[in-house]
Amino acid sequence: MVKITIDGKQYEVENNLTIIQAAKQNGIHIPHFCWHPHLSVSGNCRVCLVEVEKMPKLVIACSTQVAEGMVVNTNSERVVQARNAVLEFILINHPLDCPICDEAGECKLQDYAYKYSVGQSRFDFEKVRKPKRVELGPNVMLDTERCIMCSRCIRFCDEVAKKPQLTFTQRGDHVELTTFPGEQLDNPYSMNVIELCPVGALTSRDFRFKARVWDMSSTDTVCVGCARGCNMKMWVRNNEVLRLTPRNNPAVNDYWMCDYGRLNTFKHVNAANRIKAPMVRKDGRLVEVGWDEAIAKVGFELKNFKKNEIAALGSAYSTNEDNYLLTKLMNHLGVKRIDFVPHIRKGEQDDLLIREDKTPNSVGAREVGVRPESAEFGFASILNEIKAGNIKALYVIDDDIAADPVIADALLKLDFLVVHASNENETIKFADVVLASSTYAEKYGTFTNFQGRVQRNKPAISTLEHDRILDGMALSRLDKFGAPNDRWTTGLKRDTRASWRILNSIAAVMGAKWKYNSCEDVFNEIASTISSFKGLSFLKIGTGGAMLNKNKETVTVKS
Amino acid sequence: MELLITVIKIVAVMGVMLGCVAYVVLLERRLSAAIQNRIGPNRVGWQGLLQPIADVVKLIMKEDIVPTKANRFLHDLAPLISIGVAMTTFAIIPFGNRISLFGYDIKLQIADVNIGILYILALTSLGVYGLTLSGWSSNSKYPLLGCIRSSAQMISYELSMGVSIIGIIMMTESLKLDKIVEMQAGWHWNIILQPIGFITFLVASFAETNRLPFDLPEAEPELVAGFHTEYSGMKFGLFYLAEYSNMFVASALITTLYLGGWQVPFVHSLGLSDFWISIVQVFGFFVKIVLMVAFFIIIRWTIPRFRYDQLMNLGWKFMLPIAILNVLITGLVILLI
Amino acid sequence: MTNDKSQMTNYMENQKPIVHRKDLHWWEMFYIPQIIGGMKITLTQVFRPKFTRQYPEEKWNPPPSFRGRPVLVEQNGVERCVACGLCSRVCPSLAIDVQASETELSKERYPVKFEINMLRCIFCGFCEEVCPEEAIVMSKEFELTFTHQADGIFGKDKLLIPVEKLKDRLEFLRKMR
Repeated sequence: MVKITIDGKQYEVENNLTIIQAAKQNGIHIPHFCWHPHLSVSGNCRVCLVEVEKMPKLVIACSTQVAEGMVVNTNSERVVQARNAVLEFILINHPLDCPICDEAGECKLQDYAYKYSVGQSRFDFEKVRKPKRVELGPNVMLDTERCIMCSRCIRFCDEVAKKPQLTFTQRGDHVELTTFPGEQLDNPYSMNVIELCPVGALTSRDFRFKARVWDMSSTDTVCVGCARGCNMKMWVRNNEVLRLTPRNNPAVNDYWMCDYGRLNTFKHVNAANRIKAPMVRKDGRLVEVGWDEAIAKVGFELKNFKKNEIAALGSAYSTNEDNYLLTKLMNHLGVKRIDFVPHIRKGEQDDLLIREDKTPNSVGAREVGVRPESAEFGFASILNEIKAGNIKALYVIDDDIAADPVIADALLKLDFLVVHASNENETIKFADVVLASSTYAEKYGTFTNFQGRVQRNKPAISTLEHDRILDGMALSRLDKFGAPNDRWTTGLKRDTRASWRILNSIAAVMGAKWKYNSCEDVFNEIASTISSFKGLSFLKIGTGGAMLNKNKETVTVKS
Repeated sequence: MELLITVIKIVAVMGVMLGCVAYVVLLERRLSAAIQNRIGPNRVGWQGLLQPIADVVKLIMKEDIVPTKANRFLHDLAPLISIGVAMTTFAIIPFGNRISLFGYDIKLQIADVNIGILYILALTSLGVYGLTLSGWSSNSKYPLLGCIRSSAQMISYELSMGVSIIGIIMMTESLKLDKIVEMQAGWHWNIILQPIGFITFLVASFAETNRLPFDLPEAEPELVAGFHTEYSGMKFGLFYLAEYSNMFVASALITTLYLGGWQVPFVHSLGLSDFWISIVQVFGFFVKIVLMVAFFIIIRWTIPRFRYDQLMNLGWKFMLPIAILNVLITGLVILLI
Repeated sequence: MTNDKSQMTNYMENQKPIVHRKDLHWWEMFYIPQIIGGMKITLTQVFRPKFTRQYPEEKWNPPPSFRGRPVLVEQNGVERCVACGLCSRVCPSLAIDVQASETELSKERYPVKFEINMLRCIFCGFCEEVCPEEAIVMSKEFELTFTHQADGIFGKDKLLIPVEKLKDRLEFLRKMR
């Protein structure tokens, strides 16, 4: 530990830190472009210049180590002048096309130019022109003019993704970012360079020109692409998800997120094949009906079967709460055959983030009780019993089980199939009742990732169930000030419900006396009845998540 | 036959009067516009001549809004009283001498009441009921304030109005209006013989008709619209009509009492037949009324509204003493001559 | 005690606002000549020229500084707008709705949808002031009537005006910059 003074205040910090790290730990912001907490130090942007006493020249805070008795000044006149000069220098060849730049609004250069520059340039020559629309890879677009040569993206590919694909060529004004010959920026983590890029040089091809950042609301949620459960922000405008960006959580995903999760886990929320209302099969066709009718139908039909003729399949895509209430409903009915279909793709896994289990909640589903007491009640046996005609009714939540043709064949044998589904899929073709369930972007809930970390999920899309303003969802400027008849606030609101709420209604029809008003009520019951969840609450989970208790004891859920 | 003639007279006078009142409204709008360097309504018909009809159609089509907890019956009754009083006053005003038509000798006056002036004073006193009831029945504060003001104002000025007429009655020795008019033949108009009485009567009639500078019952900056704040549609229209009818009747009354009524000076020297003389006299009467109405309008756009205490000061401390003084002087002059 | 009181009264009297009333001549006290004078003034106004404009027949050509409805500048057949959304951001009444998209032109970005809700617009001209491309300007048009709420939302079809028709305003903007 060493004692240093920053801006007149004394701090005690570890002795292997650089000045910028020490300052950051103590809440002092030193402007920086090329430095990133999880990348190696490059020291080429020069904007983090600070004054250190007894050093003749200004030093860069990102590569100067702290030393005992060091006195650092981050705002002296020399520093302010030097910073302004650096920004003026960086802006010499920057095109200033903020109006068409997707980064505008979250651009470090923009922010610093406002904050630390006087806003005048003495450069009155033609700016250097470089290619503006370069497709670096399948997901990333490069605007070479905007690049300020911080090399963050290059270091990311080298150090984090471990796939050296990017480099600088040429010298001086003519430096250009490019891929190695014959290469593309196509590693599975390539899109992280978009957030890393402090300017708008690297932009998302998927999100290109779709919306301005200040028109969107951002909600802290969790990715459902695999068992990692990367923390992320969901960006929504007019009740439509437009992009996902990673959110820093050192225990799960650091600053990163994979391209698959970023591009493929939200498209189904906006998709045209969303199920808009519950449906009941009448004369061989699924017909949209009201919630009351659909729920009454499920209750009425289920009562016709003996308890060993019914089986239930939970879902590792669903939240802990959904699975818990399914277990509880089945216990109420006395059904013992309960399991879920795992979605594991062997080998599709790496050391950074991606897991081979492609569901976000298999640990959680098992923990809350979606597991057979013994193999004879497991998924394989359920399938066999269906084929043998012993199981006549099946209850499936939030999983397209019929995507597997083997299972699809078996489903033909059933007398009664209830499916919770958010989108039209293979399974609903066999279903007698389809209950329109909310996607993860539309409901509260918790997921448990492969490490056993319970993480909270919040709705970013409002449905008839969740009102954006009344239920405290994230608001964009347009949401805050728009009137209900403004077209940008009337994005499609679907009549879907969270699975736990549907199960709650069905239980009421079946005679159970449950009292859950919110998802938090369900979670509190999980926390009080299941030992591995003991002591957890929504508040304790917060935005960073909380680990399950290690010393587990199996507890059967009682209805 | 007498009855039929009377009915025809009533219908004719009512029709002419309502028409005139409607056009008095237009006159006011056009004249006030001209005074303010504007043009005024000139779109409906030639130079806006059909505007009154458009206004009435609009008012009839509008929704009749009655405030909750208003006294519905009195709320409906009040505008009827206002308009009724204004109309009936005209019944005893002689608008011409006699005329021979189809062999009948017709007196150009609907009813020749021998206590004419008292009848007029009585009816104008009734007029205050219209305003008071409308203000009270509306169940609203501004109308109530307006109606209280109007009753106080009317009572105060009725006095000086009555007293100023006494001078004329002393000279005429009759309450009959046609007598008073006959007295003013030639240039013997009462305005010359009774200048002080004329001024007090004129001011009092401004106050009685609630016209500026005495329009305190509906003072817009203070009371929204005064007693008729809570009225809409044709009920409001009736109040509006009553205001202008009152103005018209007051003009007719001033003409009758002080400006020689239907008397037109030197008409006999023109050498016309009796029939045409009567027509000229009727026409002269209306010209005088229209000039008086124009005077009312010009005064409205010239003089600002009095404050309430100024109104009361003027009524009790100046108007009444001057009117009484006028009676004394008249009596003295009659005694001496 | 009494002394105190008299002092107090003195003080109060000193505090009274001083109102200067003109001393009137007895002739002025009579008022009637004054009223007649006032009426003379009122009557002379009747013969003065009128200010009224006979509107639908007689149209007003506003000066370049006039802020009529905002329009998009069309140059060489395309809008200058690059759909940066600053007008939409600065609009205090949230009247502007822009959706960008990519174009092959060198400006890269163009508004695939540009809507101004004229029922919301307050004609403040902020959009014009903030526009980095001089692409949205206030026109001279002020006659806006609709019979449905939906008619009040002007799309690109109604907003695009060729640059030649907006010369006045563009020159004015350059002069005032």
